[in-house]
Amino acid sequence: MNETFSSSLSNFHGTVRAHQLGTALSSAVMLKGKLKLPEAARRAFPDRLGSLVMGFDDKDDENGRSDLVFGSGEELETFQPNGFGLDRESDEDEDHKPSDDSDRRIRQRSDKDGASSVSASEIIAADEKRSDIAFELSQKEINLEKLQRLASLGLPDGGGLRATAWKLLLGYLPASRNLWEKELTENRLKYAKLKEELLLSPAEYARRKTEALDAMEQDVDSPADGPLTRHEISQEDHPLSLGKASAWHKYFQDTEIAEQIDRDLQRTHPDLKFFSGDSSLSRKNREAMRSILLLFAKLNPAIRYVQGMNEVLAPIYYIFSTDTDEQNAANAEADSFCCFVRLLSDSVDHFCQQLDNSSVGIHSTLSRLVELLKANDEELWRHLEFTTKVNPQFYAFRWITLLLTQEFNFHSIMRIWDTLLSNPFGVQEMLLRVCCAMLLCIKSRLLSGDFAANLKLLQHYPEINIEHLLQVAQDLSPDTSSFRLSM
Amino acid sequence: MLPDSSSSQPEFDYLFKLLLIGDSGVGKSTLLLSFTSNTFEDLSPTIGVDFKVKHVNIGGKKLKLAIWDTAGQERFRTLTSSYYRGAQGVIMVYDVTRRETFTNLSDIWAKEIDLYSTNQDCIKMLVGNKVDKESERVVTKKEGIDFAREYGCLFLECSAKTRVNVEQCFEELVLKILETPSLLAEGSSGVRKNIFKQKPPESDAATSGCC
Repeated sequence: MNETFSSSLSNFHGTVRAHQLGTALSSAVMLKGKLKLPEAARRAFPDRLGSLVMGFDDKDDENGRSDLVFGSGEELETFQPNGFGLDRESDEDEDHKPSDDSDRRIRQRSDKDGASSVSASEIIAADEKRSDIAFELSQKEINLEKLQRLASLGLPDGGGLRATAWKLLLGYLPASRNLWEKELTENRLKYAKLKEELLLSPAEYARRKTEALDAMEQDVDSPADGPLTRHEISQEDHPLSLGKASAWHKYFQDTEIAEQIDRDLQRTHPDLKFFSGDSSLSRKNREAMRSILLLFAKLNPAIRYVQGMNEVLAPIYYIFSTDTDEQNAANAEADSFCCFVRLLSDSVDHFCQQLDNSSVGIHSTLSRLVELLKANDEELWRHLEFTTKVNPQFYAFRWITLLLTQEFNFHSIMRIWDTLLSNPFGVQEMLLRVCCAMLLCIKSRLLSGDFAANLKLLQHYPEINIEHLLQVAQDLSPDTSSFRLSM
Repeated sequence: MLPDSSSSQPEFDYLFKLLLIGDSGVGKSTLLLSFTSNTFEDLSPTIGVDFKVKHVNIGGKKLKLAIWDTAGQERFRTLTSSYYRGAQGVIMVYDVTRRETFTNLSDIWAKEIDLYSTNQDCIKMLVGNKVDKESERVVTKKEGIDFAREYGCLFLECSAKTRVNVEQCFEELVLKILETPSLLAEGSSGVRKNIFKQKPPESDAATSGCC
């Protein structure tokens, strides 16, 4: 155990130094290497397109079918009795329209009014959708192409269908059902081991280090030299040491990251009881998310933790830990970690400052968004780019790095992610389409706005029909498909 | 649902661009929200930058304040550098209960102002936030005063939560800008452009030319 532990550590130091010395590009390469650590993550994202075989098995069928019995509201129970964003909503109900001066940082719920009045035909349609997906997920060999098609129309809330579908769409679960158990067990074990190795408490770390030092000290002969020798041995390792290799140096660094993560987790979806507040549930959830983010930071020293990763993790962890399959819910932390790594694998460069101006960095992605807009609506593009000069960096930076998680209410985020994750050309391709559609959908307001009005509008995106938005995204001009090539 | 600010733009005498900087979690966004809408609430961490506008009457002048609220984490600093361009006022915020947020002001933030600020006369304001947590305070008022003296900035302690001194933070800063002729000239030239045709609105103060 000791050996594994120290070898992991020396790896980190090596990587950190290489990163500091090396070019930005090398850090990306290393990062991608590091991302492979959980073995299952090795399969590249698009590989999931490879296995498209049909079959039948009813092993977990009971789960899928029983989902049909419960209403789609079940999943919401984790939140406050009335569902999402109760506090926030009551604020809005007062209907004091925020003035120009007092625009509040509220991500408004869309379709708020429509939510309560669901028609019979909608219920039937939802039931059909649910059973289609349940059927597809019950197959012995999942047809991923078909699953993608179904999921892109939206997965049902509640039950475990979305959790299972997301795991498949992210390539965490293989298409063959009979491999699931083995795969899950292996990955969960690996996660537990990584956590044990890397998230040791500092005290434990120090204890092991001291043991090692004591062992060395016993080899020293002369008792008179004792104190001096001790001093020499511990020189690189005392708390005030400035040496970068010092365990203490690393410890302080880790503490800093952990504190940052804690601060951000405290304010992840502050309106949702699942994540915020003092309940034992929310504390447990934050604890799990903290481990995931901390572990990710340790495994990716070139990136570490960047604010906003908490937001990207939140939907995954929420969906997995509210899975009605108890076994899955109990292992939500491990599964979320693996899927978080996979989800970030094609966009993690956006979090890396050193890569900002490279072809994989955020600026390049922002340029692609601008090109996409230009190809689809030159008038709007001209207005934003030249007339009002609203740099996409001011709004779309957040849209893209956070996969839209700060722009919409939690329910809408999950719906949008169904479409993002099920895109055969990858999450990023669809993400840019949705971002472009977000601009197109408020075109008239943007055209009549000046710099300040437009920037405020784009930083606080208005209520919108999500299905319509996604349809616009899907229907974007096909001549922009070349953008895929650069993905 | 969202306010339509563009249609009913009231007149103003000056347009000022202000910038909020400081470590992550010191309460920049909360301070700004407290100022612009008199409310206190938990906010998600700021990613990139957030932008707000507030119209105020200070010193007998009608002012339009364009306030840029930047993200605190280091990763976002390459992005924030462009926000300094044309700013007449910068508010440096720290948390009186976290010493590192105070020491980082001299280690990081004051240097960044020197590096990126385009106006030499730009007014700086030091703000120690979260004084409502008096029992957890680790940075004394005296230390704040000393820092402000050394770096030549205004200084206030406030609480975005209780709203103590929140308005004063912005008022004192703006009053000082109004007293500074070079900054005033900038602010009013923006106005002139704005009043006669909304061609390139606020191009002086509120946009940046990066990318």
